[in-house]
Amino acid sequence: MKKKIALLFVGVMAAFSLMACSDSRETGSADGSKTTTEAESSAADGTTEAAKTSSTGEAVTLRISWWGNQLRNERTDAMLKAYTAENSNVTFKNEFTEWDSYWDKLATQTAGNELPDIIQMDYKYLAQYANNGLLADLSPYIEDGTLDLSAASEDIVAAGSVDGKVQALCIGVNAPALVYNKAIAEEAGVTIKDNMTMDEFVEVSKTIYEKTGVQTNIAYGNGDNFIEYFARSAGYVLFEEGQLGTPDDSVFLDFFHMYKQAIEEGWHVDPSLFVEITPGSIETDPLVSGKSWAFFAYSNQISAISSAAPDLDYGITTWPADNAKAANYLKPGQFFSISTGCENIEEAVKVLNFVTNSVEANEILLAERGIPISSVVAEEIKPLIAEADQAAFGYVNNVVTENSSPVNPASAEGSGEIQALLNSLVEEVCYGQKTPEAAAAEIFTKGNEILASKVAE
Amino acid sequence: MKSDKKEVKKVSPQVSHRRAKLTLWQKLNRQSTAGFVCVFPFTFGFFAFTLIPVIMSLYYSFTIFDTLSAPKFIGLQNYITLFSNDARFLKSLGVTFFFTFTSVPLRLVFALFVAMILVKATKISAIYRAVYYLPSIIGGSVAVAILWKRMFATDGVLNTILNSFFGLFGIDSSFDYAWLGSTNTAIWTLVILAVWQFGSSMLIFLSAIKQIPTSYYEAADVDGTSKYRQFFSITLPLLTPTVFFNLIMQMINGFLAFTQCYIITQGKPLDSTLFYTVYMYEKSFKDYAMGYGSAMAWIMLIIIGVITLLLFKTKKFWVVGEGEQ
Repeated sequence: MKKKIALLFVGVMAAFSLMACSDSRETGSADGSKTTTEAESSAADGTTEAAKTSSTGEAVTLRISWWGNQLRNERTDAMLKAYTAENSNVTFKNEFTEWDSYWDKLATQTAGNELPDIIQMDYKYLAQYANNGLLADLSPYIEDGTLDLSAASEDIVAAGSVDGKVQALCIGVNAPALVYNKAIAEEAGVTIKDNMTMDEFVEVSKTIYEKTGVQTNIAYGNGDNFIEYFARSAGYVLFEEGQLGTPDDSVFLDFFHMYKQAIEEGWHVDPSLFVEITPGSIETDPLVSGKSWAFFAYSNQISAISSAAPDLDYGITTWPADNAKAANYLKPGQFFSISTGCENIEEAVKVLNFVTNSVEANEILLAERGIPISSVVAEEIKPLIAEADQAAFGYVNNVVTENSSPVNPASAEGSGEIQALLNSLVEEVCYGQKTPEAAAAEIFTKGNEILASKVAE
Repeated sequence: MKSDKKEVKKVSPQVSHRRAKLTLWQKLNRQSTAGFVCVFPFTFGFFAFTLIPVIMSLYYSFTIFDTLSAPKFIGLQNYITLFSNDARFLKSLGVTFFFTFTSVPLRLVFALFVAMILVKATKISAIYRAVYYLPSIIGGSVAVAILWKRMFATDGVLNTILNSFFGLFGIDSSFDYAWLGSTNTAIWTLVILAVWQFGSSMLIFLSAIKQIPTSYYEAADVDGTSKYRQFFSITLPLLTPTVFFNLIMQMINGFLAFTQCYIITQGKPLDSTLFYTVYMYEKSFKDYAMGYGSAMAWIMLIIIGVITLLLFKTKKFWVVGEGEQ
């Protein structure tokens, strides 16, 4: 009898432990250092327990994931609730993270065949996911009108297509924007004009450093976007299929020389400062902490910048380039894609339609991801958005649209690796560990190797 | 008990040659079945979450696997690339070895030192024991790592304290050395963080010291040996099994350290703090080279195995076994 009770007890315990498996955190060592890798895999398991879409009848739960800051999280959540209020059969399970870890999480979910239904997608990764057949084709829904894109520009819609099929819907347009501290510029007696050339930018930085002691941050640690801009100014598309678009390493040489000169002459922020901050995070950027007078940002980050630094009197202008028209571009900021594993693609498409065309939705989102692609909606919400975003709107519409060229095609596979290499080479040049010549040669050779190897696979 | 009677019946000579088949109920009631069921939660977890993924990672290490598409078999190519064409891999090995072989001995020395001081069971020493143990519980956490990062920032606590210290001598300094930004000092911030967590080793030493019979010390006092000599001749040799245990455990933990590096420096500046596990993570998850990362994982397994084996082989030279004097 005792044994039977014991067996029953153990059976119940086993059942409990199986239930707990989905959220298990083993506590092996006191430091917990080795549990992190285990936690990665059990976190991926955790999402399998999330509510799956039901294929029978009306009630549908869609898993939607995005990256962003707190502001975006709140607004997106409110918008999704508004959708549920109108369409009571659809509920959402939100999954959001910081940019840094978003793609790791997505890759892990892919390996487990657990991609969310609606995925926020970025231009840099679009090709990779599309080429692996992970994103649903939206073209049939556009054609039959479920996804109404009549009020959006064709270029922007085309930006989300790979192999002729629209696999991602742009949900916000933005452009590169140099956000600068007006007070410091005035103190130094310089006027910042739009469409500066690189030489003018260097002059301005030097003057500001001489007169006020404030240094500059030339997109350090975040240089992946700036190098493409730099290359565009010289007339090249940096990432082509299977090779780099530049015929030799001269573009890279100029790029690294710029940093070396900046560090040697003393007007660039010391690289050791960047180890302490999170690269790409707005709240810790040197502009916000006062160590730099400029921030190589994007127009949709302006509202986050102004809320991180409310006392900052900021101005917006273009990133410096020798050839502004060739360099500048309107970028599809982010996309929403639907994964091929989604069981209710039609419902998901309707959500995308809501995001694009509903004025109500955009009144909640208030252009936090960039300017809405529907011109109708953009007009409607313009008077409602915060001053910071209005400045961004104005900048994009007046300054950039006139003087820009179409955005580069979606980056090829391997571009992420090359960009990481670039950032570490910039670091080495700034620390004096490599000469610009050696760094330029290295990235040119390795870059071509990496891109070629991805095509060969 | 009923089952006992059945067992007795089985063994009796008349039926032993019949070898009656046990009914299902009898099978379930056997002692060994109960044992299996009791162990089931653990074995299931072990198989599903440890053993099978480990075997799969061995398979992946021979493939190119970008997690977005199926793995492609390429044989030993990953291993060859690692050793012949990857400077960062060798650098990360070097950094991890340096980190382990500095932080572990330092940690054990501090642990033993503090344990010796706290051996006396006074009320105060109990508080100190708790205080010293606390870092080892919370130290591995993300929160403390973020705190540590702030502490060593150019405008962080350490520099502020140093500045006020200099101020005492009348030196008006704006000392803002970037501890985390210099290749010389960044790794030491991580070593210090690891050494700070010596509390768990200290407790193990404490309990081991208490087990040494006081009669040894009394005999030594009678002979007139100094406390210093007593430590080296009595305490330390008898602690060597504990030292051995701690050494192995801490060494394995040192090789597998991840959180501190990932949160505080991510390997910067210039890979001077690039831990092996962080590099493996970068390669697997950020560069989408899961096969490559799996190969790295197995190499680390082999390294840890070899070092542990070597340590065990040297055991007979310096570890005092039980029963030996």
